[in-house]
Order: sequence, then structure tokens, then C-alpha cells
Amino acid sequence: MNRKGAFARYLNRSGWLFVTPALVLFGVFMLYPILSSLYLVTRKWRGMTDSFVGLGNFVRMAQDNQFWHALGNNFLLMILQVPLMVILALVLAVVLNQGIRRGRGLLRLMFFLPAVTSLVAYSILFRILLQTNGMLNNLMLSLGVIQQPIGWLNDPFWATITMVIALTWRWTGYNMIFFLVGLQNIDPEIYEAAEVDGASKITVFFKITLPLLVPVILFSAVTSTSGTLQLFDEPNILTNGGGPANATMTAALYIYRQAFVTNSDFGYATAMSYVIVLIAGILAIVQIRLLGDRK
Amino acid sequence: MSVVRSPFTPIRLLMWIILAIGSFVCVFPFYWMVVGSTLNPNAVIHGNLLPGNELWINLEKATKNYNLPLFFWNSLFIASITVFLGVMVNAMAAFGFEKYPSKAREWFFGILLLTLIIPQISIVLPLFKLVAGFFAPIDMLFGTSFGGLLDSSWGIIMPFLMSAFIIFFLRQNFKMFPTEIVEAARVDGSGEWRIFLQIAMPSMTASFSSAAILMFIGQWNSYLWPLMTILSDGTKTLPIAMSSMMNAYTIEYGGLMLIVTVSMIPVLAVFLGLQRQFVAGLVGSIK
Repeated sequence: MNRKGAFARYLNRSGWLFVTPALVLFGVFMLYPILSSLYLVTRKWRGMTDSFVGLGNFVRMAQDNQFWHALGNNFLLMILQVPLMVILALVLAVVLNQGIRRGRGLLRLMFFLPAVTSLVAYSILFRILLQTNGMLNNLMLSLGVIQQPIGWLNDPFWATITMVIALTWRWTGYNMIFFLVGLQNIDPEIYEAAEVDGASKITVFFKITLPLLVPVILFSAVTSTSGTLQLFDEPNILTNGGGPANATMTAALYIYRQAFVTNSDFGYATAMSYVIVLIAGILAIVQIRLLGDRK
Repeated sequence: MSVVRSPFTPIRLLMWIILAIGSFVCVFPFYWMVVGSTLNPNAVIHGNLLPGNELWINLEKATKNYNLPLFFWNSLFIASITVFLGVMVNAMAAFGFEKYPSKAREWFFGILLLTLIIPQISIVLPLFKLVAGFFAPIDMLFGTSFGGLLDSSWGIIMPFLMSAFIIFFLRQNFKMFPTEIVEAARVDGSGEWRIFLQIAMPSMTASFSSAAILMFIGQWNSYLWPLMTILSDGTKTLPIAMSSMMNAYTIEYGGLMLIVTVSMIPVLAVFLGLQRQFVAGLVGSIK
């Protein structure tokens, strides 16, 4: 009995030894910052020093139209981009999985390639490509598709379109992989049974394939939504700091600029970042609710 | 679903058109980038689509005007150290959580997973304050002047060594490693550390490569945190250097395109060489 207790203690101690380095790092670089943000959020920067303002930062946030405009941009991009990308990824996955025999591996590789590039690298490439006097406008002008160069990055409307195009380019292949895995997990016998029953390909797609893919589609939609919420690299580089006229200013970029560029107001930036945590938390709950039941 | 070999039907034609346009759009920017690194700045902007002969001039600009080797080295150092120490720390934790079950540790694991929800922009603000005055308590106690970890590679490495996601991912994989083997080794007189290093780790190389790839790419491509903490040219990583080149008054497009190309080489090489582990790490997040 005593020996058994000693052995259990030995195992328990070993367990702690294995997890300690990670837990120490977790405590220092995650838990401590989280707790210290509770202090930061009550402070306001005044020139040389900061002082206590209580909930003042949240009051200021409620009246800060620019912040809500930026958050609105996140939602606008979400609504425009996520459905477009999910549909494209679904089409590509279905065509790759069921439409062709040859070259499937190579095509899958090509579609996935954008997902391998860093956000900074593709933002720079797109910014050079889409300049008003840049290659895409020159090409379209010489082909006669357009009469005047398009302000891809200078016109508020076109800059939003540019963001949608860029995000779709970067993430469609990534989401396609999840759909491909989902398609391969569908039992082939279901299709054979449908074929025996004489169902047309269109019927099979809408009555069998699509319903079985719903969990993957939801996963992809929720993670993309959460990703769009945190957009930072693209608006900072591609549209050069959320321009033009804040048309592509996102919440994360606005928060960063409040803390590092236009002001050095960490307290206020922290207050706004709490809103982002709140929305991310709601999305996480939605994800668990939607997907947890189906497993 | 088997495809009937029909030589020409409208739906097959449509599928091939979709695939052709899709793959062209996906690959074209890469082609344009590589071609651009052989052109002079005007030709890049104008949109020449055939390779030029200024590759060596651009390489000289990239190394002399832009100090590409230093930025490359900074990125490589940060990503490699993160992978080396990070995989070790996270694998140990995953092993400890999975093979030494206890209520208290399970509770910590739960908190660990909970923090996965927190978006990066929210954690970096208080993290910046911490890192900026990292040694302040020591300095105060001992009268030293270590200051903080801003503008230092270690300030970029240390906060991202521990990754709740990597611990979760490796723990899922340790579930497949039979506990009986651990127990048998223990009966044979192996210490716990030896069981981990010489028995568990070698049998999980595939999972470790996935974790290493994820961590490497995360640091290699990292932008927001280095953007906050890097202050001088000497510590810049490739993404920071590239983005600041875009804000310069004159931009050497050819040289910049070459740097962007070079910045993609390590990740592309890892992806093309280890595709299976690459995708396994990615898909691991939904399984």
C-alpha cells in the first residue's frame, strides 16, 4: 500500500516535471499579460505619464466613430469575402475530386500554393501588381478592357474589392483542402446506391454531397470569419495603413495604430482589444455549438 | 463516383475551364514575381512578362542597398531557435499531460486551450509592456541595467516558444502511442526522461515534423509582433524589412521582387519536400 503510494507520487512528480517548462512560459507570456491588461485598461496616457481613468477608455470607445467604422469594415469584408471563397473552394474541391482523373495531384498543389505564401509577401506582390500605373492596369488598358486605369488601391470602393480579391486568392486553396478531406470521407457506397436508383449528378450533389459536407463548410466559414476579424497584415501593407480614406481600416489595425503610430495610448488600445476578444469568444462558442453536436 | 470516359461533354469542358482559370490565377503571381526579380524597376511596373537580364544587378542591390543576407539570417535564427526549443518544450508538456494523467494538470490543460480563443492583437499589447520592461524587477533588485527585450531576437523567440495549439496537436498524437510501452520500459528500469527521449520521441517523428513545420512557418512569416518590437535595421526580420522597403521614397522593384522570392524559398522548400506532414499539421486542427 505504502509502496503503491510512493509510486503514484513518483509518477505525479514526473508529470509535473514534463509540463513545468511549458507552464512557466505560459504563466509569464500568456497569463501575466492577460492579468496585467486588467490594469492597463484602466489607464490613460497623458503626454509623459499615465493616470487612472476607471472605465473612461470604454466610454471613449463608445463614442469613437472611427473604431466602429473600422469594425464595420471587418464585417463588410466578412460578408463579401467569406461566402465567395467558400463557394469557390467548394467548386474547386468537387471538380478536383470527381471531375478529373489526370493531373489531380499537380492541380491540388497549384491551388494550395497561395496558402503557403506569407501574408507580407503576397500583400507586397499585390500592391506592386495593382498600382494605378502598374502591370494589371497596363495590361487591361492595352487589351482595351478598360479605358481608364482603375484605382485598385486609391479608390475607396475599388480598395475594398482589392481586399476581397487578395483574401480570396490567399485562402481559397487552403479551405479547398478541408473540403477535399471532407469529400474523401464520404462513403462511396452512398454514391453507388444513388446511381443504382438513377439519381442524376446534380441531384446527387445537392441531396447527398452538400448535406454531408455541412460540418466542413461550417468549420471553414467560422474559421474564416474569425480570421477576417483579425485582419492586420493586408490592410497595413497592401492598402498602406487602411487607406484610402480609411476604407480598408480594420479593427486590429486601428488598435495597433492607437498604441504605436498615431498615439501611444495602450490603455485605450487595450479597451478596444477587449471587444475583439469578446467577438472571438462568441465565434468560438458558435463553432463549438455548431460542430460539437455533429461529432 | 466513377467518371465515365466521355470525350467531350459540356460539363467536362466547363470543369476544365474552371481548373484552367483557377490554376492560372493561383500560379501567375509566383511566375510574375520570379520574372520580376530579373527585370529593372520600370519593366516590373510596366508589366514585362518575359525574363530580363538584370538578375545579378538586382542581387547586388538586394545585398548592398537592402542587406538581404542579414535579414535572412535574423529570420532564420529566430525561426530555427523557436523550432528547436519550442518543439522540445511543447512535446514534453504534451507527453506529461497525456501519459501522467492527473486532475490538477488536466485543469491547467483546459486553461491552456481556453487561451487559444484570444486573438493575437489582444495579447500583444500587454505582452509588449511585459517584454519592454522584462528585466525591470531584476534591475531594481540588483542595480543592474539589463532593461528589456525590445529590439532583440530573444524578445521575438521567447513569447512564442510555448504554443497551446502545438501542445494540443502533439497530445492528440501521443494518444496513439501505447501507454503499455511506457509501462513496459518502466518495468525494465528506464527512467521517465529516457522513456520520453529514447522511446516516445523517435516513434513520433512524423508528428514532430508537422509541429516543427507549423512553428517554423509561424515565426518565419510573423509580422505583427516583430513590427512592434523591432526598432533598428540590424534586428529586422525579412517580413519587417520587406514591408519597410515598400514605404521608402524610391523602391527598387527588381531588388524587392528578388527579396520576396528569396523570402519564400524556405517555406516553399519545406512544403514541396514534406507535403504530407505539412497538410497533416493543417488538417490536424479539425480532427
